[in-house]
Amino acid sequence: MALAGTVLAQGAGEARDEVPTDADAILDRMVENLRGGGQRAILTMRVERDGDVREYRLEVISDGTERSLTRVAWPPRDAGQAFLVDGDELFVYSPRLGRSLRLPPSGRSDGFLGSDLSYDDMAGDEVRDDYDADVAERDEDTVTLSLTPHPTAPTPYGELRFTASLPDLAPLELEYVDQRGEAVKRLTFSEVHELASGARVPTRFEVVDLTADGGRTIAEWTDVEFGVEPPDRCFTQQALERGCDW
Amino acid sequence: MSTGPRRAERGLPGMIRLAWRSLWRQRRRTALLILVVAYATVSLLFFWGMTDGFLTSIYQSQARLLGAPVQIATTAYHADPDPVHALPELGPLKASARSLAAVAGVAARVDVPALLRSPYTSTGVQLRGVEPDAEARVSDVPGAIGEGRMVATTGELVLGEALAERLDVRVGERLAVDAASVAGPSALGLRVVGLVTSGVELVDETTALAHIDDARALAGIDTATSLALAVPVGREGAVARALQDGLPGGVRAYPVEEQMGELASGLATERVGTAVMGLVFSLFAAVAVTSSVVVSVMERTREFGVMLALGMSHRRLATMVTLEAVIASLLGYAVGVAIGYALLFWMAEVNVLGPFFTNLWGDLFTSLALRADIRTDVRLEYLAYAGGTVVLAALGAILTPARRVHTLVPADAMRAAD
Repeated sequence: MALAGTVLAQGAGEARDEVPTDADAILDRMVENLRGGGQRAILTMRVERDGDVREYRLEVISDGTERSLTRVAWPPRDAGQAFLVDGDELFVYSPRLGRSLRLPPSGRSDGFLGSDLSYDDMAGDEVRDDYDADVAERDEDTVTLSLTPHPTAPTPYGELRFTASLPDLAPLELEYVDQRGEAVKRLTFSEVHELASGARVPTRFEVVDLTADGGRTIAEWTDVEFGVEPPDRCFTQQALERGCDW
Repeated sequence: MSTGPRRAERGLPGMIRLAWRSLWRQRRRTALLILVVAYATVSLLFFWGMTDGFLTSIYQSQARLLGAPVQIATTAYHADPDPVHALPELGPLKASARSLAAVAGVAARVDVPALLRSPYTSTGVQLRGVEPDAEARVSDVPGAIGEGRMVATTGELVLGEALAERLDVRVGERLAVDAASVAGPSALGLRVVGLVTSGVELVDETTALAHIDDARALAGIDTATSLALAVPVGREGAVARALQDGLPGGVRAYPVEEQMGELASGLATERVGTAVMGLVFSLFAAVAVTSSVVVSVMERTREFGVMLALGMSHRRLATMVTLEAVIASLLGYAVGVAIGYALLFWMAEVNVLGPFFTNLWGDLFTSLALRADIRTDVRLEYLAYAGGTVVLAALGAILTPARRVHTLVPADAMRAAD
């Protein structure tokens, strides 16, 4: 079984070495690498803004598609606060209020816990669903896609520039450009972790807000367990409020 | 043979002629009395015209910029403005509204709480989905677009100029619009095609107009949250009442006052307070007129003594004094009405009050969504308000001096100093 698994993983890895020429296919691979599939991890997050630095430790469970549960473990002041993403829905649980609230859809694109990092940044759904992809630049080591929004796509950006390394298509940088051609936000991905499936998943995100009052957020995945399949009960209101013991 | 003319001379017409001649013998005193009454009349006309004009401006601003002159909505939506309480099928409701001659326009609207996102910031608004052609008949907002144009089709958005500035978005750029629809979260990208520069801070800071089909998609409904009706100013209540019988259960027609909630009750309280103030003002005006007549009579004590000594009875003298006061008051009232209404008509045509009050009460204007354009109201009922004051003054002018004349002793009166 283990051998079969290795052979399968090798096969997948070989298939991945073939870089598609079609921009949409490239984008699909980049998003898959960004997501990393089902996972359980500890995420440390450092938020720098206006000279103030705050650090968080988060417990993350994700099914790698549309559901994730994020719980603040540290600092004690925020511990217990939790976020549940279920498709387009986003819920937040506040231990101080003792209740959970459904947030508007914009909650997915807003930075959480006062950071510059959003759920859309981590999930990559938005770039695949709302944009048309074209290959803007390509050399031996990297490829950059220019993503332009569909006419009625719910995004305020004029263009996204998504860069990945070749041939593995591991995400390197995602730049958000406004409608006047100015970059307003930049995500830099690093610390790539290679999975058995051949996917190369970045485990360090650095988000820089490039606007006048911008800040910086660094998120690092530690103690990551990839390739897991969390049970459905981890993505319920009960799990949001009490955690998922899995 | 001379009995007839003498009787006529002693009768009321003769007394009126006598009083009239007496009035013009004392031209300066009479002119002063007419002036005082005219001044009181003009002041009262202006007071009520300005007060009602101010209130009308508030109602009109609310009706034409924020709400509607008359709005048809479900009672549930009126209590809790959530799209889940949308109207039933619109066809019969529109037909019912259009059957009234006073209704000049009907426009469906979908109001939905939404979040507007630009690349730099985001802000919450009450997004209004409108039927582009019909909206201009029920609202002044489409006519206040300074840059760009009104929404014409889906995918377009018009913003208040200050709101656009806050979001740092320009005409031609796109915003992301998020809403919580009846069916769950929903979002759209809408391109800004126009900016509203109404000059009313509240409007320029909060207006967000989209095509009604986009708002329906965001709200998750097929009909509308309300129908806005254009009706002439002052007929809102009557039209709403007339409509009510033809509406289905759970649906009501609300005149602008009822859409304003606490603001309307606050203004009603304010109107009562103003009426009390107007009454006090009227009393002061009446006292001013009365005192003018009293002083006039006191100054003529010697003259009255001579008239009594020459055989005029106390009763005829008192009648003459009374008639003098009545004639002078009527003349003053006529002059005051002419000047007062001329002033009201002029201020109804020319925006004199707007800039004055804007400088005086800028913050109040902002909170009431008032334009810097306030005209006086011109109503016939002001004739009665001012007339009542003049009657009150005339009564004072009649009773006090007439009683004094009744008690005059000719010899003492003739010795009185001028």
